[in-house]
Amino acid sequence: MKDEVRRLNDEYGFNLSEAEIEQIAKQAEAARRLFQPLYEVDLTGVMPIMKIDKKERK
Amino acid sequence: MKERDLEGLTISGVSAQIRRGEESPVELTKLYLARIKSLNPILNAYMTLMEKQALADAKKAEDEIKGGNYRGPLQGIPFSIKDNLATKGVRTTAGSKILSEWEPDFDATVVARLKEAGAVILGKNNMHEFASGGTTINPYYGTTHNPWDIKRIPGGSSGGSAAAVAASISMASIGTDNAGSVRNPASLCGTVGLKATYGRVSRFGGVHGTGGFSTDHFGVFTKTVEDCALVLGAIAGYDPRDPLSSDEPVANYSESLGKEVKGLRVGLIKGYFDELMVGEVKGVFGKAVKLLESLGMKAEEVSIPHINLIPAVQTATSRVENAASQDHYLRTRPRDYSPNLLYRHICALMIPAATYVTAQRVRRIICQEFEDVFRRVQVIAAPTMGIPAPTIEECDRGFLEVDGKRIDFQDARGNFGTQCTIPFNVTGHPALSVCCGFSSSGLPIGMQIVGGPFQEGMVFQVAHAYERTAQWYLKKPEFSGKGMSVTEPALSP
Repeated sequence: MKDEVRRLNDEYGFNLSEAEIEQIAKQAEAARRLFQPLYEVDLTGVMPIMKIDKKERK
Repeated sequence: MKERDLEGLTISGVSAQIRRGEESPVELTKLYLARIKSLNPILNAYMTLMEKQALADAKKAEDEIKGGNYRGPLQGIPFSIKDNLATKGVRTTAGSKILSEWEPDFDATVVARLKEAGAVILGKNNMHEFASGGTTINPYYGTTHNPWDIKRIPGGSSGGSAAAVAASISMASIGTDNAGSVRNPASLCGTVGLKATYGRVSRFGGVHGTGGFSTDHFGVFTKTVEDCALVLGAIAGYDPRDPLSSDEPVANYSESLGKEVKGLRVGLIKGYFDELMVGEVKGVFGKAVKLLESLGMKAEEVSIPHINLIPAVQTATSRVENAASQDHYLRTRPRDYSPNLLYRHICALMIPAATYVTAQRVRRIICQEFEDVFRRVQVIAAPTMGIPAPTIEECDRGFLEVDGKRIDFQDARGNFGTQCTIPFNVTGHPALSVCCGFSSSGLPIGMQIVGGPFQEGMVFQVAHAYERTAQWYLKKPEFSGKGMSVTEPALSP
């Protein structure tokens, strides 16, 4: 994760300190854990939702 | 009329008097401006006052009515606007340092529609930086204080709007709600707060990056459900400038008010919300449900099997959409964000595209589960916030202790204050927060009434029946500036 933060730091020019890079990497790691259960859902045949529209309702 | 009389004033009450010429929009506006000058130094609910323009608009409304040109119930009514909604020729900061000097040359559609309805815009309300938080502790424009206890936050991100309506320094306000930013402060300040169905209200003119493209909604703050119905009727409807707005016809929402609710079914979602409520909120919410039952509604438990994935779906969706909107400023002015917001955007840039798409697929499953529930019930009732307003000090330290346990405001699931509201940002359902009681320390507690897509009329019908029976709306904050210290804004208006 730290490497990914460093890559973005170079690309965007955030000028982050090492302490900041570490803090952001920790937050990104926590987010990744939060998202993990999304990959455990059976999504066979499920299309991504694009818009809430009454006309699409059955 | 005197300044103190503003506390009991509603749009529905005063608009008839304005129409008959018994109340003057100019005098009303002057009273509000005087009250703002007296209370805003305590509350910091406004960041920009539009005194000259407000008086001119009030005069125009008064002259038009005298000339027989009556536009409707919002004519001559004083409003305020959250500062992430574009107002032509008036500074629109989105609570940020980056936009501290921005004066749009156009109005957001909601602002334009209010003006067409003859409303008077008093000024722009303080908010959380880029609408990215629920406290309205703003490092650049100072903290907004809760009128019920000025040591406490008003919630957010539309905290200035909620505080203004609760303190009667605005009769109604327009805010935005990406994760609960209308309903959360409405709950903590004891006002009505509505976000309608996704697409019901045009989002043209909202500052990009102050809400996800698919999760953000513009919403309404008022003192009563009846007023909320009037305002929604004026701002709702298709807008060619917002391709995601809906062309579903706008109903006459006022016609839903006063209808009997006997026999309607209210769903209570098992599990998810129970874990989020502290004991005191659970007690108050339980009594509110009993009251709905006493009106003849039938409460039944319903289940949303994938509801626990909502925090992941909301985070993966709104943070990615927000960060994408902020890309230009992240590249050119990264250090003009507060550090925590910058870190959050950087984390969002690291979310893989595949995660975003997977979240949208899970989102469809969740929406279908809600649709199944809405075949059995007309509305869902849920708490708006699991806790009453925390103190500013508790927010600064990041946690509070209640019921013998510690609640962190930020944890792995995101912002604790938004967990009760985000389900309906993910699904887009209309959701209204109405005051459902008070804590032992006198702080308001809110209940959400949620309807099926474009069923705002049903939401108003149930919320209005509850409100008129419970009558919490009659209770007003009594506050003074004694003993408080106002946070000095770094970027004064």
